[in-house]
Parts: sequence; structure tokens; C-alpha cells
Amino acid sequence: MKKLLLFNSLLLIFSCSWAQEYKIDVSYMYLYSDQWDKAIHTYNFSRPFFTEKQPLLMNGLTTSISYIFKNKKHVKHGVNFAYAYFPSSAGNDNFNNKLNLHFVNLGYILHYEKAETCKGLYSELLVSATSSIVYRNVNGEPFVYDEKKSKAFGIGGELHLKVGYYYKLKNKIYLSPFIAVAYTPILYAPNHEAVINQTKGLTSNNWTGIISTQIGITFHIRQQKND
Amino acid sequence: MDRQKFIEQSTLLSIGGLLLPSAFVTSCRKMTLFEEVNYDGKVLIIGAGAAGLYAGYILKSKGINFQIIEAATNYGGRLGKLTGFANFPIDLGAQWLHGKNSVVGDLITKSNTQITLDDGLEKYWFNNHLVDKVPQNTKIFEGDNLPDISYKDYALLKGLGNEYKYIIENIAGDQGAAASRLSVYGNNKDEENWSSGAEDFKFQETYFDFIDKQIAIHVKDKIQLNTVVKQIDYSQSTIKVTDSNNKIYTADKVIITVPITILKSGDIEFIPALPTEKITAFSKIGMGAGMKVFLKFSNKFFDQNIIGGAICAAYADDSIGKAQNDNVLLAFVMGQQAEYLTALGSDAAITTALIQELDLMYNGQASASFIASHVQNWTTNPFVKGAYSYSTVGMGDARNVATQPINKQLYFAGEAMNINGHHQTVHGAVETGYREVINILNDLSK
Repeated sequence: MKKLLLFNSLLLIFSCSWAQEYKIDVSYMYLYSDQWDKAIHTYNFSRPFFTEKQPLLMNGLTTSISYIFKNKKHVKHGVNFAYAYFPSSAGNDNFNNKLNLHFVNLGYILHYEKAETCKGLYSELLVSATSSIVYRNVNGEPFVYDEKKSKAFGIGGELHLKVGYYYKLKNKIYLSPFIAVAYTPILYAPNHEAVINQTKGLTSNNWTGIISTQIGITFHIRQQKND
Repeated sequence: MDRQKFIEQSTLLSIGGLLLPSAFVTSCRKMTLFEEVNYDGKVLIIGAGAAGLYAGYILKSKGINFQIIEAATNYGGRLGKLTGFANFPIDLGAQWLHGKNSVVGDLITKSNTQITLDDGLEKYWFNNHLVDKVPQNTKIFEGDNLPDISYKDYALLKGLGNEYKYIIENIAGDQGAAASRLSVYGNNKDEENWSSGAEDFKFQETYFDFIDKQIAIHVKDKIQLNTVVKQIDYSQSTIKVTDSNNKIYTADKVIITVPITILKSGDIEFIPALPTEKITAFSKIGMGAGMKVFLKFSNKFFDQNIIGGAICAAYADDSIGKAQNDNVLLAFVMGQQAEYLTALGSDAAITTALIQELDLMYNGQASASFIASHVQNWTTNPFVKGAYSYSTVGMGDARNVATQPINKQLYFAGEAMNINGHHQTVHGAVETGYREVINILNDLSK
């Protein structure tokens, strides 16, 4: 255990010496996916016995951590790991249906900041690999059939543009509200209709494009002063 | 305003500018298809089976005027119920829920309908002996690059000799087909699309009871029974449907849910005639003979499932999943075996043939404890003429072609019209019922 702690501490010190900036952000994300909307629309249409309709998968929370490498240029680069969660829940008599959509992204960041002209303002372009999973809970339990949980995986990519503005909290610690837009083509998600609407081929393709917007706040630990 | 303030205010404005449209768009995005339907036309549904009943249920939920006409004396199509034969209700037609992952599965959970997993052990009648398993693996009909040949031919190709004949008949019979007619390729494609689950469940009451209480109850007042459709004239914008008493029903849209055998046999005349490719597509979809024979005994001498009989390839203990346990054995007879038994000409002859086979398997115990039988022959039912659809050799995309609406007037539903691999099933029929209402509303919105 001591060795592990020592190793992690050394790794942190070593990485800090190379890092320009660490960031953790949390945000609200608004999502639009034509195919997944269609599947939920069809689910709602085809089940007149449910009075409460299933909400679309559109409001979620996301968090990410980023590591920006030290660089004296205006354009820096780094890596990012992000996680997002979108729930959709509808309560009916004897039937509470909840869809859970999760995304995990691992990406490369291009960070642009020019303090001379736009002090505090920064923008980022993020290119990520994305994986998604959607699964279903019924009456608080994972929906199981054939002794397996009902779930569907998807893989794709993401192009993400983010703009934020730094506010200094104290030495090296900054806070920045930001907005972002993203396009996420989920190139292969063959079973999502089977999870959402319990059938295949009625409404959806094996792929979907997602457009999302984000608004949130980032906490930064910066090695160089920004003000 | 200095630059710093400008940037700060611009940032705040941008954030607000994103939040407000998001909230607005969220409230605008619809929750379901066709939230507002303003259609004053009439939809006529031909056939009060699962597809027709569910199409009516959906139309009712959307406030659309509709009527269901049914040839038989009761609704339910290939669902039926027999009481009084045993101390539990008997499913005369469809009785297994094939997987829970479907709209029907949701309705079962919502309605607290009692179902039981049917995972009974199987015995095989193989080389004149009852055995726990057969020597060779019979799961050869799954995988990639399978040829478009029959199960019978493929089994021979794989070295399963004549001793496996009725084992293979059972596998094909499960799909409602004779082994010589079911396509290995086509059926495997159907299995790939299948998404409702592999487990089979039985209803403590009957499948008919479930459909009756949960679906038919909403549309009973719209069903007209004993109405045999003879002609559909869709040459004008108002469609005229004529029954065997020459009574004419008019509608703007017609959903046809009759079994594929009725469409193939030309029992319904279409004016103008259906396109040739449509008729060809109908002819390629298979639907074989099928019957269920219920045999009641004083003793339970039989195993839960017996596979591989020459007269009947699949026997099953019918009391599984029921609240009571009279000794009723179901003979589930499909394909050529059903044709053979039908040709015997009487229920008594059918029963005798089955009892003789069971006597052979169980050393005369069947005839010694036999009490009564009930034969439900779906093949001789003039409004059904068979069991359920299957994929024939060389069928191609016939099911897709058969399903396409005509002139935004005629729509096709029913188990045979399910293109998601769920044909042969009640939940597959239900899917086509709501699918065709979606097609109608889509056509109206164009």
C-alpha cells in the first residue's frame, strides 16, 4: 500500500511538472438524437395502456477531467476523459420504466487562449472516441430476459467545441463557466431499439447522429498565471 | 465598456442564450408519434386476431373512427380457449409467450398477468427408445453462411440420417413448417432479427384470456363477428368491402389482417387486382398445416416433453404453468404430420393414431389410462387454413414486399406480415397492428 501511495505521489509530481493545467468540469447537457427519439416515440405510441409517457433521452449531466500539456504557444493540447448520464423515467401503475443512457469519451483537446487580446477567454476543440450503453430498469430492477440484462452498446466519435471564460479564485485555482456544442455520430448501435422499444427494424437504424449542447462550470488548476 | 467587461457580459449572455433555447426546445419536442390527430375518415380492420384487435386499440387511443369485421364466431383469431375439458383452461391456439422483451411483455407486467417459465426437460423418441439426448448435435441450423435449402436437405448434408427424421421435423415444426419446406437460410435470418428473448412462458389462464382482458376489452363494441369478406374494391377513394351476404362496408383505409393462407388462396377478390409482385410475394410465404390435440389421461405416465414421434414430433405436458394439474398431454402436430392426421378424416382416427404412438413409447399405458381427447385442427378452419407462417426456400424479401401498403388505402398486418423476425407469434402480430396504424398516419401526414 505504501509503495502504491509513493508511486502515485511520484506520478502526480512528475505529471505536474509537465502539465499546464488540470481541469474538472460538471455540466448540464441537452441531447438530440433523431433515431433514439423515434424509438421512444414509437414506444409511447404503441403502448396506449401507459398513461405517463416515456420522456425522451435529452436532459443529462456530464463530467470530465482534462490534462493540458505545458506549452508556451497559444494553442496547447491535452487529453480528456468524459462521462455523461441521461435518464428517462416514467411511472405507471405496476410499471415504472427507466431508461439509462451512459456515455464515456476519451479524447484529444486543442486548447486555444490568447491572453494579450482576449484575457480570460479560451476555446477548445475536442475530438473523442465515444462509447455508449443504454439499459432498462423496470420497477426498480434491471430488466432481465433470457437471464441477461437488457442493454445495448454503441461506439462512435465526437467533435466538440467549447468556449469558456476564466475567473480567478485564488492562486493557481480558477473557475470558468463554459458553453459547448458537440456532434456525436454513434456509428454502430445495433440493439438500442430492442432495449428502448423491444423490437428491431420498425423505426431505427443501427447508427444515429447526436447533437448536444452543454453548459457548465470548470475548475482549473493552472501552473501559469492567467491574469 | 472596457474589453474585460465586454467579454464577461458576452459570456453571461451566451450562457443565457444557450439555456433559454434549450428549455424552449425541450418543451417543444414531442413525446410520441402523432400527438395530435385530426382525421375524420374511417378505418376498417378485417380480422379480429391479435393484430386487428391491437390496431383497433391504437386507433381508439388516437380518436380515429374504426370498425373491425371478423369472419369467425368469436374474436381472437388463432387464439382460443377451451373450458370444461380439464380442471384448468386450455389454450386452443397460441399458448406460449416467446420472450418477455416485447410490447406484450410490458402489458403482462403492467397487468400483473401470471406467467410461468416453461423450461421442461425433454425426452427423445430415438431408434424406438426414449432417451435423454440424441447422439449427435442437432443445433446445426444456426450460424453464418447457411445455404438456402430445406432443413431436411441440410440435415442429410450434415450427416444426420433417417433416425433423426422426426427430431428434425420437431425443430421445423416449432416454426410451423415441415422440414422439407423450411429454409435454413431464411429461418436463420429470422432468428438474427429476433429480439424478444428465447425463453418461453405459459399463461396461468390462457393467452386468449390475456388478449381478451387487456386488449379486446377496449374494442369489443367495434367488432362485428360472422362477417366473411369476399371482395375489396379499392378502385375509388372510398373503399368498398363486400361480405358473403353482399353487405357493403365503406372505409377510407383498410387494414387487412387475415392469415396469409386466405390471401394466397384468393378467398378475397381485390378490385383492381393486386399487383403481380404482391401476389407472388404472398405465394412465397409459407404456412403449413397445424393442429393441437389434447389427450386426457387418468395417470401421468408421460414425460414433460417428448420429441421425435413419427405421428407427432412434439408432445408436451399441458398442465405446466397452470394452477391445477389434470393429466393432459398436448400433441403439437405441424407440417406433414398434421397433413397426414388431417387426411385420416375424423377426430377419433386422429386420437387413435396418437394413442397408438404413445402406447409404443410407454408400453401401452396411454390406452390404459386414456379418458378423452379434443382435436383443434387449425388447418380445417376455413378462416385460418393452417398454423402460422414460415420462411420457405427461395423466399427472398417476399415478406417485405407483401407488407407494403397499396395506394395509401390497403395496409397489411398479422403475424405473417411481421418483418422483424417475430412472425409466427402473437407479439409479432401485435407489432404489425400498431405498425400499420403508424403507416396510415404517416400517409395522411404526407
